[in-house]
Amino acid sequence: MPRATSKRKAPPSTSASVTSSDVVSTRPGKRGKKDVDKIGDLFDVYVNKSLDMIDPEGIVSFCSHLGVDHTDVRILMLAWKMKAEKQGYFSREEWRRGLKDLNADTIAKLKKALPGLEKELMATPKFEDFYAFAFQYCLTEDRQKSVDIETVCELLNLVLGPKYRSQVDILTKYLKVQSEYRALNADQWRHFYRFCKEISFPDLEDYDSDQAWPVIIDNFVEWMKENKQS
Amino acid sequence: MSLPTKRSSSTTTTSSSSSSSSPLTSPPMKKAKSQSQPDSKNGLFHHHHNSSDNDDDGRRAQPDNLSRKKAQPPQPGKKQFVIKPFKAKPAVPKNLEEETWEILKSAICAIFEKKPVSCVLEELYQAVYNLCVHKMGGSLYQRIEKECERHIAAALQSLVGQSPDLVVFLSLVERCWQDLCAQILMIRDIALYLDRTYVKQTPNVRSLWDMGLQLFRKHLSLSPEVEHKIVTGLLRMIEKERLGEAVARTLINHLTKMFIALGMYWESFEKPFLECSSEFYGTEGVKYMQQSDVPEYLKHVEKRLHEEHERCLLYLDASTRKPLVATAEKQLLELHIPGILDKGFTMLMDGNRIEDLQRMYTLFLRVNALEALKQALSSYIRKTGQKMIMDEEKDKDMVSSLLEFKASLDTIWEESFSKNEAFCITIKDAFEHLINLRQNRPAELIAKFLDEKLRAGNKGTSEEELEGTLDKVLVLFRFIQGKDVFEAFYKKDLAKRLLLGKSASIDAEKSMISKLKTECGSQFTNKLEGMFKDIELSKEINESFRQSSQARTKLPSGIELSVHVLTSGYWPTYTPMDVRLPHELNVYQDIFKEFYLSKYSGRRLMWQNSLGHCVLKAEFPKGRKELAVSLFQTVVLMLFNDAEKLSFQDIKDSTSIEDKELRRTLQSLACGKVRVLQKLPKGRDVEDNDSFTFNDTFTAPLYRIKVNAIQMKETVEENTSTTERVFQDRQYQIDAAIVRIMKTRKLLSHTILITELFQQLKFPIKPADLKKRIESLIDREYLERDKNNPQVYNYLA
Repeated sequence: MPRATSKRKAPPSTSASVTSSDVVSTRPGKRGKKDVDKIGDLFDVYVNKSLDMIDPEGIVSFCSHLGVDHTDVRILMLAWKMKAEKQGYFSREEWRRGLKDLNADTIAKLKKALPGLEKELMATPKFEDFYAFAFQYCLTEDRQKSVDIETVCELLNLVLGPKYRSQVDILTKYLKVQSEYRALNADQWRHFYRFCKEISFPDLEDYDSDQAWPVIIDNFVEWMKENKQS
Repeated sequence: MSLPTKRSSSTTTTSSSSSSSSPLTSPPMKKAKSQSQPDSKNGLFHHHHNSSDNDDDGRRAQPDNLSRKKAQPPQPGKKQFVIKPFKAKPAVPKNLEEETWEILKSAICAIFEKKPVSCVLEELYQAVYNLCVHKMGGSLYQRIEKECERHIAAALQSLVGQSPDLVVFLSLVERCWQDLCAQILMIRDIALYLDRTYVKQTPNVRSLWDMGLQLFRKHLSLSPEVEHKIVTGLLRMIEKERLGEAVARTLINHLTKMFIALGMYWESFEKPFLECSSEFYGTEGVKYMQQSDVPEYLKHVEKRLHEEHERCLLYLDASTRKPLVATAEKQLLELHIPGILDKGFTMLMDGNRIEDLQRMYTLFLRVNALEALKQALSSYIRKTGQKMIMDEEKDKDMVSSLLEFKASLDTIWEESFSKNEAFCITIKDAFEHLINLRQNRPAELIAKFLDEKLRAGNKGTSEEELEGTLDKVLVLFRFIQGKDVFEAFYKKDLAKRLLLGKSASIDAEKSMISKLKTECGSQFTNKLEGMFKDIELSKEINESFRQSSQARTKLPSGIELSVHVLTSGYWPTYTPMDVRLPHELNVYQDIFKEFYLSKYSGRRLMWQNSLGHCVLKAEFPKGRKELAVSLFQTVVLMLFNDAEKLSFQDIKDSTSIEDKELRRTLQSLACGKVRVLQKLPKGRDVEDNDSFTFNDTFTAPLYRIKVNAIQMKETVEENTSTTERVFQDRQYQIDAAIVRIMKTRKLLSHTILITELFQQLKFPIKPADLKKRIESLIDREYLERDKNNPQVYNYLA
C-alpha cells in the first residue's frame, strides 16, 4: 500500500465531491439486496470504471473520506479483511467481502468498525496471518518473491512496530546499514516476527545461531552484539 | 673315611661300660669338639660350621642309644644275667642347676666383656646339654635372656652421650652392633642344644639369636637419643654423599643392615629417609630450575635418578628403591613439568636437539607426563607453523618451509619420541589444523610447488629425488581439507605443462597422478588421467593427419601444425578468446577440422587460441633467429611482415585480440627481456597512444629464443577465476548434498541436516554458508520450513 501513491491527477470527478451520506441517500435500492447494494454503491463511488476495480487513486480518495492516511496500517488491515490480492487495487468482490464482514456499508460505519478491526488483528491468533499477508500484499509483480529493504522497513514499522517497538527500531536500523541483502523473502520476513516473539530482547540470551534462523538474523544478532560492546 | 667304623666300635664299648650315665656323655660330641679345639680364636665360625657335623654324628649316634634302650626291657625278663645297677637311682645333684649356671654365667659375662672364657667351650656346651636334659631348659633360657639383657642394655647405655661427631658415633654403634652379634652368636653356639630342643619344642619362644636381636631393639628404643642419633647420622651422611662428598658407604651399609636385622628399617629409617629425600630434592628442584637451562636440568635429573638407583644397590634395602626413585621423580620432575616445558621445550624443538628431547621424553615417561609433552608439542607445531602459514609475504617459501618443518618433526618423532603412536597422531592433527588455518591458499601453493618441481628445467634433481619430494608433498596434501582447490590449481598447471610441452618427465607426472589416486580415489584423478589420454591420442591424430590426403594436397607450405585435441570437461575451462588469425593459419585450421570431423563425426571442435604457441623464423638485420612465441604473439608479429610501424589501435583492430590480453602480449614483445619490437614512447606499460616498430637492431646470443614464457606464468585473473570456479563448484556441491539428504529423509531437523552435510562435504565450510544454501533452496522451493516446527525442513518433491 505504500505504493498506492498516485501521480495521476484528477480523482474520479463523481466520487471526489460526493460525501458518503449523499451516496447512500441517492440510491435507495431494492429491498432484498439492500446492504449489498449499499456496499456496491459505495464501491462505485471509488471505482475506476474501465478496470471495474478501485485503483490507487480511488483508494487515496477513499482514505481521505475515511480520514485515514493511505499508508496507515488500518488500510492494510482493511485489505486483509477483503483478502485483497493486488496492492493498490480492490476488486468489487474483495470490497464486498470485506465490508460485509465488517458490517459496514457507509464510510461512517466503516470508520466505527476500524478500531475493532485493529484490535482483532493485533491479537495473537490473527496477527500472524495478517503479518504474513502484509508481506504477500507487497509482492506486486508476477513471480516476485522478495521485497526491497526499504519497503520491508516501512512494513515492519507499520505492522510489527506497534507490538515490538524497540526490536523493530534496531532491526530496521540494521537492515539499512547492512549491505549483503537488497531484498528479503517471505521466509526471512516470517522469521522477524518469530524473532521478536521468541527471543528475549535486548540481551538475546536465548538466541542460538546453530538453530535454523536465517542468516540475516544471525548477522543481525552478531551486529547487535558488536555494537553493544563499542 | 675309615673313622665311622672305628667310632662305632668305640661307642659300643663306652656305652656298655657306663650305660646309665650315658646322659652325661655324648661321645660323638667329644670327638667333634676336640677337633675344633685347637683353633679357638676362630672358634666362633668353626663351631658354627662344625655344628652341622655334630648334628650328623648325633643323629647317627642316636639310633644306637635308642636301640639299646629298646633292648633293655626284655633283658630283665630273660634273667640270664643281672648286672646290678646302682642301688640308688642316680639323682641329679641338688645344686646342679645353680652350679652349672654359675659356670655358664661367668662364661657369658666373659664373652660380653670380651675376656677369654675360663673353661673349654665344650664343657659349656655340655653344661647346657645337661640342664636341658634335666628339663631345666626353660629356666636356663630365662636366665640366659636376663643375663644377655643386662649386658646388651649396658652396651647400649654406653653409647648414650658418646661423641657428638656423627661419623665417630656411627662407627661406635657399628662396632657395638658387630660385637653384640658375635657375642650372641657365640652364646647361641654354646647354648645350641637349648636352641635345638627347648626353643623348638616350646611355642612362642624366640631362638637365642632372635632373642638377642629383640633385646637389642628393646633397649635401642629405650634410649631414643641413640636411635635418633643413628638415624640422623645416616641421613646426614647420605645427604653429604648427595652433595658430592665421599662417605663411608660400608658404614652406612652395616647400619642399614642392622636396622633391617632389627626390623626397624622401615619404620625408623626408611620413613624419615624418604621424607628427607623428598625435602632435599624439593629444594634442589626449585633451585636448579632457576639456575640451569632445561637440557642441563634434565641431565641432572637423569643423573640423580641413576644415583638413587645405585644407592639402593649399595647400602639400602631393595624395597626402598621404588618409593625413593618415585620421590626423586616427583620432586625433580613431576612438580616441574609445566616449568620445564615452558622454559625449554620450544628451545629444544627449535634447536632440533634430538638427544635432549629424547631425555625429556624418557624422563617424562617415568612420571606419566607424556600428555603434557604431547600438548606442548601440539602447541609448538601450531605456533611455529602459524608463522609460516599466515605470513603472506612468505607465501613463496611456505611449502618448502612446511616440508622442512615436517621432516624435522618426523626425525624428532623417530629418534626422540621413540615413534610413539600418540605423538604421531598429535603431529598429524596439529599439522592438519595448521594447514587449514588459512583457507585455500596453502592448497594452491602446494599445487604450485608441485608445478615447479614437475616443470622442465628443474636441473640437478634426479628421478629419485623428485619422487621423494613428491611423496613428501603428498603428506602435506593429505592434511588439506579443501582438496578441490588443490585439484583446480594442479589441473590448471598440469594443463600448461602438457600443452606447452614443459613437463620435466611424463613418468614423474604419471607417478604423481597415481599417488593422488591412491590418496583420494579414482574419482579425484580421472579427469587428470583423461588429460594424459588426450595428449597421447593427439599425437596419433597428428600423425595420421600428416599422412592423410587432405594434408598432403591442400596444406599451405612452410607451416607445420600440431594440434592437441582436448576433451572438454577433463581440462580446465578456458574462455575462448577471439583473434583474427593470419590467412595461412586459418586455412590450416580449417583443413585440420575437416580431417578431424571426417574421422570423428558428430564432434565439435573449438579452437582455443589462447593456448597456442608457435616457432617463428625471423630475419633480423643482424641475424636469423627462431622465436618461440605464443599464438597471440605470433599474430601480432605477423602484422609486421607488411608494416614497419603500427599503432596500438592498428594492432588491436587487425588482430581483434581482447584489450588486456593484447597489452600483455605487446608488453612481452616490446618491454620484456627479449625485445623484438620497439615501443614508442618507451615505457613499461602499454598505453593507448603507443606505437610499435619492428626492432631491426635486435641481437641475441642464442639462435632460438623463447618469448612465450609469459604464457607459462599465471596471471592474476587466471588465479581469481580458478578460485572462483572452485567456490562456484562448492555451492553446487552443497546444494546437491542438501537435496540428496532431504530427498531420502523427506523431513529433517536443521541440526541433523547440518551435521550430515559436514560429514558429506569434503571441503571446509562454515555453518553460515550452509544456512545460506538452505535458504536459497527454500527460496527455489526445493525445501520448506515445517509449518509447526521452524527447526524442521520438509523436502518438496
